[in-house]
Amino acid sequence: MRTASLIVLIAVALPFLLGPFWAYQLGLYALYAAAAVGVGLCWGQAGFLPLGQALFFGLGAYLSGLTFIAFADLPIVAVLAMPIFAVVSALLAYAIGVLVFRRRGESGPYFSMITLALSLLAFQIATSWNSVTGGFNGLKGIPGLPGLNDFSDVYYVSAGVLLIVLAIAGWLYTAPIGVLWRALAQNERRVQLFGFDTNQLKAAAFGLSGLMAGIGGVIYAPQQGIVTPQVVGFGLSADLVIWTAVGGRGNLLGPVIGTLLVGSLTAQLRDTLPFWEVLMAVFFIAIVLVFPKGIAGLADPLARFLKSRRKQPAVAAPKRLSSDLPARLVLNGVGVRAGEFTILDRLSLEFEPTGIFCVIGPNGAGKTSMFNAVSGELATVTGSIDLGGTPVSGLTPHRVTRLGVARKLQIPSVFQHLSIADNLAIALWSGRANKLQLLDPRLRRWTTPMLEDLQTRYPFLASAERKAGELSHGEQQILELAMALLTEPRVLLLDEPCAGLSPEETTAVIGIVRWAAVRLGGAIIVIEHDMSLVKELAEVVYVLHNGTLLAKGSVGAIQADAAVRAVYVGGEK
Amino acid sequence: MDPLIVTQAINLIYAVSTLAVLALGLAVIFGLLGVLNIAHGEFIMIGAYCAYVTQSGRWPYLAAVPLTLIVCGILGWAVEWIMIRPLYRRPFDTLVATWGLSLLLRKIAEAIFGLGFYSVNIPVPGTVHFLDTEYPIYRLLLIAVSLLIVIGLVIWYGGSRTGSRIRAMVSNPELAQAQGISVRRLAAGTFIVGTCLAGLGGVMLAPLIPVQPFMGLDYVLRAFFVLIVGGLGSVSGLLSGAAVIGGVDSIISATSSATDGYFAVLVLSILFLWLRPRGIVAHS
Amino acid sequence: MTAGRLVFEAITGGYGSTTIVRDLTGGANSGEVLCVLGRNGVGKSTLMKLLFGYLPCRRGQVLLDGKPVSQLDPSARRRSGMTYCPQERPVFDDLSVRDNLTLMRTSRQLGAFRRYFDRFPVLERRLTQHAGTLSGGEKKMLSFVRGLAEDQPIILLDEPSEGVQWENILHMIASITEKKATGAAFVVVEQNLSFAERIADRYLIMDQGRAVLEGSSSAIYRGQILAHLHV
Repeated sequence: MRTASLIVLIAVALPFLLGPFWAYQLGLYALYAAAAVGVGLCWGQAGFLPLGQALFFGLGAYLSGLTFIAFADLPIVAVLAMPIFAVVSALLAYAIGVLVFRRRGESGPYFSMITLALSLLAFQIATSWNSVTGGFNGLKGIPGLPGLNDFSDVYYVSAGVLLIVLAIAGWLYTAPIGVLWRALAQNERRVQLFGFDTNQLKAAAFGLSGLMAGIGGVIYAPQQGIVTPQVVGFGLSADLVIWTAVGGRGNLLGPVIGTLLVGSLTAQLRDTLPFWEVLMAVFFIAIVLVFPKGIAGLADPLARFLKSRRKQPAVAAPKRLSSDLPARLVLNGVGVRAGEFTILDRLSLEFEPTGIFCVIGPNGAGKTSMFNAVSGELATVTGSIDLGGTPVSGLTPHRVTRLGVARKLQIPSVFQHLSIADNLAIALWSGRANKLQLLDPRLRRWTTPMLEDLQTRYPFLASAERKAGELSHGEQQILELAMALLTEPRVLLLDEPCAGLSPEETTAVIGIVRWAAVRLGGAIIVIEHDMSLVKELAEVVYVLHNGTLLAKGSVGAIQADAAVRAVYVGGEK
Repeated sequence: MDPLIVTQAINLIYAVSTLAVLALGLAVIFGLLGVLNIAHGEFIMIGAYCAYVTQSGRWPYLAAVPLTLIVCGILGWAVEWIMIRPLYRRPFDTLVATWGLSLLLRKIAEAIFGLGFYSVNIPVPGTVHFLDTEYPIYRLLLIAVSLLIVIGLVIWYGGSRTGSRIRAMVSNPELAQAQGISVRRLAAGTFIVGTCLAGLGGVMLAPLIPVQPFMGLDYVLRAFFVLIVGGLGSVSGLLSGAAVIGGVDSIISATSSATDGYFAVLVLSILFLWLRPRGIVAHS
Repeated sequence: MTAGRLVFEAITGGYGSTTIVRDLTGGANSGEVLCVLGRNGVGKSTLMKLLFGYLPCRRGQVLLDGKPVSQLDPSARRRSGMTYCPQERPVFDDLSVRDNLTLMRTSRQLGAFRRYFDRFPVLERRLTQHAGTLSGGEKKMLSFVRGLAEDQPIILLDEPSEGVQWENILHMIASITEKKATGAAFVVVEQNLSFAERIADRYLIMDQGRAVLEGSSSAIYRGQILAHLHV
């Protein structure tokens, strides 16, 4: 709240401090800044870069301009239409996001190129569609907003609009969806394995950025009186990216600082300093490579001072949305191939709904691949996978997770740049929060009895603000394990949970696994190499070899099995 | 034969073969090194400006070739060292860095040459009588040179020792290192080949288009679409991608308008991205 | 061909923040084979990666002929006299068998491979085929021949016999014995005890990243080794 009041105060006071000329300039750049905040949302939060953002700004501007001209005698219609046009921009952005983000895997570069292409296409259309857009010379003679007279009125409208955009963004960044965006920028796969549809999250981010750009655009038309193709083209799109970067993309105010400072300065200096633009380009590269926090990074100490320090009370989390009754995991004739290689060869096995089970086998036996197939990350060419009677094969990873499957990956995959509290919160939201709740900042204070128990066992889990990346390797393993447990899964897949741990840490993990088995009442399936651990934990041992099941039974039975011995020791012909 | 059909047919071949050459540099860098060099278009621009400088200096047109190779070579080496090498495992950051580079190169060109369009004279002017129709000699020459470059590179890549080492490095970098291949140097060399190919494309194209700082944008996008549609990592992919994109663009631009052609290409690429993301010739 | 000596002292390392290999010491003298044995996941391949420079040693050092090589990346270690045949992806699938063998040699002539082709005729038969079409065992044989033909003083082999028929394993044993006689030093990671005991001069048995048994092959009984390999 302190920060917000300060910003509003500055915004109100500026025209008095800077005079009418600068008030007018800032009035214009405040609109660009609204679009830049959208770029910051996509780039700084969700980790993808839109290179054609002017498309949405210009779309809003053209639509608004046309309406103001058409309804010159009845401007109230145009004024009421403005929010609708901003929403149109948002929907277009969302649609593009949905289309482009469907691609599994690295979609970043493709997305950027497509947005770039769309902006250029829009420029071409705007330039050639003379009858509607006025062609290269643009849409002229747009009447102004009714009731506004001098420069500072114009400024206050723009500043007001910018403040609305900042309020929306600020709220989103503190809401669970903001935490999820920041998480998926670091490790998208992991967010999916917590049951969130990351494609939808990214499309939503892009849609919201389109909304912000659209809001700026619809005011631009009546304010400037003219809309030319420049407003939808590459130049403005590029400038938005530069201003966002220089101002500080990860920061709420960064894009605004960048646009207002750099943007308006450039307008002044462009003609007097011929190499100003070259300098800006070098500056941009330096920021990207060396100082990604931008100008806003310089104000970090101030930001810490303004941050609210009141600790707010925890909120009890609701129950899981889907069933949490124990379920039997069944693999039936599952085959997985990668090109010519058979990774899983008609693998058939069943796990009881309750208990601790270990999966062992030589390298390349297919253990992790089996987990990947169950969690939906590897496509099965034959066979089926069922969980409690519900077919699971063919589902995307986030849907599989929602059915009650949790994973702890082989390499600790906590969200390094997020706080411990945020990491744990993401686990709590998994399977419990519906989409609308992701907009509610109260969810960040969720807690469950299990979380409290875990925090009592491991006090470091309660140091809420510490970044997960600062934890030691062993602590990160425990944090990730805790996150998997907090989803209260029916089936917990642990992939070498003790890899690289000291003997004391290993004992701790064994303790948690046993405790969790009792507490959750579901199935815990552990891939392990360490036979002493297997002896301690396993009720049943499954031995995989060459992608198929070689043996199954108690630890003693497996040890006595000649076929298993042969595989481990290597026989002679 | 109907002269109009012949002309359109040759135009089509011309569009596809020049597109193949222009996309080749990006294919090398994106397909082999996994780096999306958004500044690819600016290297084409540099080639075009080199052609202009050569013309202003009243040197023979072919002098633009060594000039381009030197400029793009040195620039490529510097860029790989400063920007690409530290970011090989971070494809998104490479994208942002090369976007910054493209911005920088454009602004430098603007500062030196200004925003205006330049015109480069066609080095081999005139037309030739060909299958009942007149066709510009220079374009026919470009078709020949494009095919030579693509075929030549393919033969070299498949047959030469260095080509084998590059293929080794791309498919199994750990083993390549184990056998003593300096992956760093080879990757740098590959990057430089990519930028030089782009520059050459610019030299070839300069007499036929207006030379200005923003000319590269169109080409990097088209090259990118060629790779989306055709698939990364194979020559047949490059050629089929060039055929589809070049073909669709040519035909629709000729029958409708350039904007519609561009729109068609964009829609097609998004469809491919959606339905067949690995391209026509999917490479594992 | 010069004699070589590889020594590793108290090396510790792993992937990222994980520690897999702890405090391992050992080495191979010229003309000796050190066999590294142990169950899956104990860190044998990680040890090889530390020796060849794919992973940095967090503690300890690797010495080649008395000189530390910690600063050298894998291709530099190759140039200093070490050969490495990895366990996974042992050949270039996209290149022909011939190209796999001659990739880094000055000429494409195959004269130097004559005695290997006599032992492993299948490689000569498939010279022009893509290595990706070979069976797993054939790829291992190809990798083995490539490695030994490099004629280097230190040779690191990671599970060279995986998927290879016993009769060809016997040929491998013969080749290794020949090479030993010329002064080369071997470090061989193996799962196949019958193969290991026919080539080893020294053993290093690993469990959970540490050495649990080591010594010369004459001093260690089969039963002792089996106890550590069993499930």
